[in-house]
Parts: sequence; structure tokens; C-alpha cells
Amino acid sequence: MDSRLYFVLGDLFSNLLVAILAGWLCSLLIPAGWNMFLAMLVAMVIGMAVGLVLFFPLGVAFGAMEVMLPTMFTGMFSGMVVGMWAAMMPLGGLQAVAAGAVCGLVGVNVIWILNNSLRGVQEPREGA
Amino acid sequence: MDTQTQAKWDKAAPTFDLMAGKGAEARWRPFKEQLFANMQGRILFLALGTGLDIETFPPGRDITAIDISPRMLEVAGPRIAAYDGDIDARVMDVHELDFADASFDQIFTSCTFCSVPDPVAGLRALRRVLKPGGELFMFEHTGSRYYPFKLMMDLMTQLTRRIGPDMNRPTLHNVRAAGYRVVEVNNLFLDVVKTIRAVNPET
Repeated sequence: MDSRLYFVLGDLFSNLLVAILAGWLCSLLIPAGWNMFLAMLVAMVIGMAVGLVLFFPLGVAFGAMEVMLPTMFTGMFSGMVVGMWAAMMPLGGLQAVAAGAVCGLVGVNVIWILNNSLRGVQEPREGA
Repeated sequence: MDTQTQAKWDKAAPTFDLMAGKGAEARWRPFKEQLFANMQGRILFLALGTGLDIETFPPGRDITAIDISPRMLEVAGPRIAAYDGDIDARVMDVHELDFADASFDQIFTSCTFCSVPDPVAGLRALRRVLKPGGELFMFEHTGSRYYPFKLMMDLMTQLTRRIGPDMNRPTLHNVRAAGYRVVEVNNLFLDVVKTIRAVNPET
């Protein structure tokens, strides 16, 4: 990711927003008592879709792939966690938002770590 | 001329700058400036588009630039005029390059091979007009080798290829398949946004 403050804050804002919204939506759409595996799959798709939709406005301000992939990843992760939680027990809106925010922070940090391990000059070997 | 691709980019031209987004350009600018600082000799720039990259070109270069879309080049007009150097912009399809063999010392691309319909054929066509020992410099977004990003980019491609680029192209593989020797790959974001430096082998 980018070390310029504008983009660091932009990445943080984008991922928090997507994760919170994805978590909140999943808490509304997935009722307690659902099969956990099914809830996880549905919630992951919902979260990824939220990330994809919000990429369009967020991407204009903060970048292309550097916004699209993290927001889809974070949305998917937040949806998975909150969706499974909602399937286990009734979940309040505030709880879902808080869980989404935590997932957003975790998600953006995972991307930062992955990016730091992959970026830089590579050995010129076969790849994408 | 691939009229289908031409029509797609002609249609995108009026809103391309908005679609490309100021955020992406600002984020990529330092990397593009670093890559384009290598410009020297006879230069071909592929897919000039609306000329968003021109601001990152070093001054005083003599650049031949092509794009398949005349509408894109119309939008690029003021940026071409403002460049402190010489840009000869022409409408041309990369698959049907109207240049003699070994015409250029260097070729530059910027987010281009996500959109060329037959990327290996396009890269081979570029190799024909590149001098032996000449260099290919690319700033490209490609597919990822890693899950879940690979899956996401495959899904995105189903949406984006109708209006513009593919998100999952194996561009580094394509460069090799076209006969270049890859000298350097610099990942800028994950293994998705990268610069590639390759050479047209002498033999």
C-alpha cells in the first residue's frame, strides 16, 4: 500500500466503511438459526458485493486496484465473521457495526502485510 | 483495424478520465515518472488514450504515440500540445503496426495489455518494430497468482471486459510468450500492479 498520508487514511477509511456496512447488512439479512456454513457463504458474497459497489465512488478518490482488492477482501472477511455470528445468535446493529469495524482494521492490516511481502523487485521468473 | 475494439474505446473516450479516476493517477504517478524517466532514443508509446500519462513524461523527448481510438486522441489533443517535447500521435491498431522493422529503440506501455484483444500477437507486433536489443517498458495491472485475489479478479473481469479492460491477464507470461527476455519485474501493489522491463533479444 501507499505510505503517503492521504492514501494511508484513504485505505483505512475505505476498508472501515466497507467492513462496517458489510457487517451491518449481514446482521440484518442473516437470521439466527441459519446453517453456519450457508450463512458464511452468503455473507461472504454480500460482503464482497458491498466492497465492489463501494469501490466505484471510493476508487475515484483513492485509486484503482489498491482500493478494489482490499475493499472486496475486507468486505468478504467482515461478512464471513458477522454472518456466522448472526447465524449463531441474534445480533444487535451496534454489535454488528463494532464487529465490522474490527474486521475492517484486521482486513486492512492483512493487506498491508501481504503487500509488503509481495511488493518490490522480483526475480524474473514465470508468473502473472 | 479491429473496429469492435475501436468502437468500445471511442465510446469510453468522453468519460475515460472520470472512469480512470484522479485517485489512481495520483497513486501511480511516482512510479510512472520513474519508469518513463528511462525514455531515450526513438520511442514508441502504445495506447496514449486521453493522454493522462503525458504529464509524467520527461521533457524534451521525441515520442511516437499510437492509439486505436481517434476519439481518445481528440481528447488527448490539449495534453499533447502542452507537452514540452514532440509527440506524434497516430490512430493505429497494435496488431497492424504501420512502421518498418526495428524502427524504435524503446517501447512504453501504460495499462495497455489489459485491453489488447490478442496480447501475445500484440507484443509480437511490437517486437517486430523494436530494434534488436531494444527495451520494452511496461506499467501494467495483471491478474494475481494468489487467492482470494485471483478469484476476485476473475469475477471482476466478467463485468469489466464489456466496457474496457480485463483484470486477470497473465501479462508477464505473455511477454515471455512473445519472445522477449524479461529483465526486471517490480511489484508495486501485491503482484497485481507492476512494472516490467524486457529486452528484444539480439538473436
